[in-house]
Amino acid sequence: MTEQITITGKQQIRPEEHESYFNLVWRKFRKSRVAIAGGLIVLALAILAVFSGFFSPYDPVKLNMRSGFTPPSRIHFTDINSKFYGRPFVYQWKQVVDENMYMHWVEDTNTLYFVNFFVQGWEYKWLGLFPSRLHLYGVAEPGTIYILGTDKFGRDIFGRMCLAGRISLAMSLFGTFISVAVGSVLGVISGYYGGRFDNYLQRFVEFIQSFPQLPLWMALAAVIPPTWDQMAVFIAMSTIFALLSWTLLAREIRGKVMAMRETDFVLAAREMGASDMRIIFYHLYPNTLSHTIVVLTLTIPSIILAESFLSFLGIGIQEPLVSWGVMMREAQTIQTLGFNQWIVAPVLFILLAVLGFNFLGDGLRDAADPYTIT
Amino acid sequence: MTEPRKILLEVKDLKQYFPIRRGAFRREKGYVKAVDGLSFFVREEEVLGLVGESGCGKTTAGRTILRLYDPTGGEIWYTPQDGQPINIATLSQKEMKPLRREMRMIFQDPFSSLNPRRTVKEIIGEPLIIHNIARGRALEERVAELMEAVGLDPNYMERYPHEFSGGQRQRIGIARTLSLSPRLIIADEPVSALDVSIQAQVLNLLQTLKMELGLTMIFIAHDLSVVEHISDRIAVMYVGKLVELSATEAVLYQPRHPYTEALVSAIPPADPDLHFTRIRLEGEVPSPANPPSGCVFHPRCRYAQERCRVAAPTLVEVEPEHFVSCHFAAELQLRGIGGNHVA
Repeated sequence: MTEQITITGKQQIRPEEHESYFNLVWRKFRKSRVAIAGGLIVLALAILAVFSGFFSPYDPVKLNMRSGFTPPSRIHFTDINSKFYGRPFVYQWKQVVDENMYMHWVEDTNTLYFVNFFVQGWEYKWLGLFPSRLHLYGVAEPGTIYILGTDKFGRDIFGRMCLAGRISLAMSLFGTFISVAVGSVLGVISGYYGGRFDNYLQRFVEFIQSFPQLPLWMALAAVIPPTWDQMAVFIAMSTIFALLSWTLLAREIRGKVMAMRETDFVLAAREMGASDMRIIFYHLYPNTLSHTIVVLTLTIPSIILAESFLSFLGIGIQEPLVSWGVMMREAQTIQTLGFNQWIVAPVLFILLAVLGFNFLGDGLRDAADPYTIT
Repeated sequence: MTEPRKILLEVKDLKQYFPIRRGAFRREKGYVKAVDGLSFFVREEEVLGLVGESGCGKTTAGRTILRLYDPTGGEIWYTPQDGQPINIATLSQKEMKPLRREMRMIFQDPFSSLNPRRTVKEIIGEPLIIHNIARGRALEERVAELMEAVGLDPNYMERYPHEFSGGQRQRIGIARTLSLSPRLIIADEPVSALDVSIQAQVLNLLQTLKMELGLTMIFIAHDLSVVEHISDRIAVMYVGKLVELSATEAVLYQPRHPYTEALVSAIPPADPDLHFTRIRLEGEVPSPANPPSGCVFHPRCRYAQERCRVAAPTLVEVEPEHFVSCHFAAELQLRGIGGNHVA
């Protein structure tokens, strides 16, 4: 009566080749030009940050007071006599005082320094492991090249922007990771079990959401002891951002799970004897993935902005750690900014990062759910 | 006649009430009596058709028997393969788990009952994984076997449900139900979400599987014409209660309850030239939250008398194996299929 169902004349089973989930997502993602652009921007920023040593011709943390606030080097191909050189070169900036006793930066056109590629320079380590002296570009001594100028202490702003990308991007990714982990797990559990736990959790979410974010961030950031080492501060800051941003995801996932909880496939799973854990993580969670990905790509830029803002105010990351926000602190005084406009250059990277992640999220939102026909 | 087969499942006075909560404090303001005192039994290798209008509690009854809901009252006696009958109404979910191998369900909606994120292999093979039966290569072979048994190409096992039609999806659901070689299947309107042309295919498949595998089935449907071919006996439900239960022929040709008579009269005859008079029931199905007094069917019954408004009839055996819940079961002359029109 309960014998196994057997088939006669058994043939070889050859399951057809089938596209994996990521292939399906990729195929749909590829169609969105905006998303590809966003992805490339993010990728470029990540490469600049990870290999910042390679992209900065000068040590971005070494002080060099004599060249403080040097304007960005101009890249020339022709000299003042209109003579064309086949390769780019730079002049050095020198300060002159005009008849009204104003200081001016003027290019010293007597000597030109050709821009060389793949030059040897200061020593750094690839990925913190392999020592190297190779840099993408540079000029012969005693010439200097600062493509985005220098800051107050004479450090190359472009090199520092690349280096700062490490903290800014890593912190937003790390914070988002915590935020998504906490938010999605609590959201799924809250939506699945409902009842009292759900009620308490949702009131707690409302409690957190009703705080004015900025003062709370400031208060939390101010609590971090200044004596902590850099890594501890980094983790503490990421956690602060994460703990205030998980609520959005938790709410959304909860709503989705509540709608799914009563569907037949969950009932079918229970009917075949699946445990709650299996239902939550095998059946419900994967179905919220597209939501999670979208919220993820929205949380990253919000943390980048929040970090920049706090660091700008001086209560986030502290020197010698450098983030885009820390670099902006020098732009706080109107006077400094008025004379040295190039010190706001890190805004460019913040802008690109935020736009890049938003574009990426837009594309992923459409691509992450390949199982529906649109 | 062979001797009657053993009883596999016996339901005694099963009740499933859902509380109605209202107001700021979510107090219980009453109950929806979805299943209210249901009693029947199923013999081994028998198909029991459970019919009734939408909202009469058929689906709830099926789900309660499988302990997807915790019953409010009553007993569910199931006889496992090797042992004494046990009352599964009071088992914990953990104690229930080994029995879930033997008692399975086919779901109504083939679109929502398959997880869109899982491949067919994962869906059909999941019960095998949950009950630690097979993994890897063995699992794949078993899934292929099952897919072939339900008429699907095993080469499609890596596909996702959205790549299949409604009928194919229901076959996937049936394969999933069969994967553990169950002894009892509760088929919850397995064809009502399908096109008529596909309905016949799936019904034939179930019929074939029943014959080949000796399945015991409770076949839930809202349509007598769907269950008449597959069922050995038919139980008719109305607002949470059984009104009639008997062999299929008896229900179809000699109904003893006015509600059954109305249902039977709704089956269109195969011959289009035949004069076809349907008994139209007046009014709506009463709400199970607020059922009428006395016999629940009396507001719509053509034969209702004063007694029906006051006293609720009980299910009595008017003939051997023919149970009816009507005060006038013995007196009424009711019309079955092909019966003469009672003027």
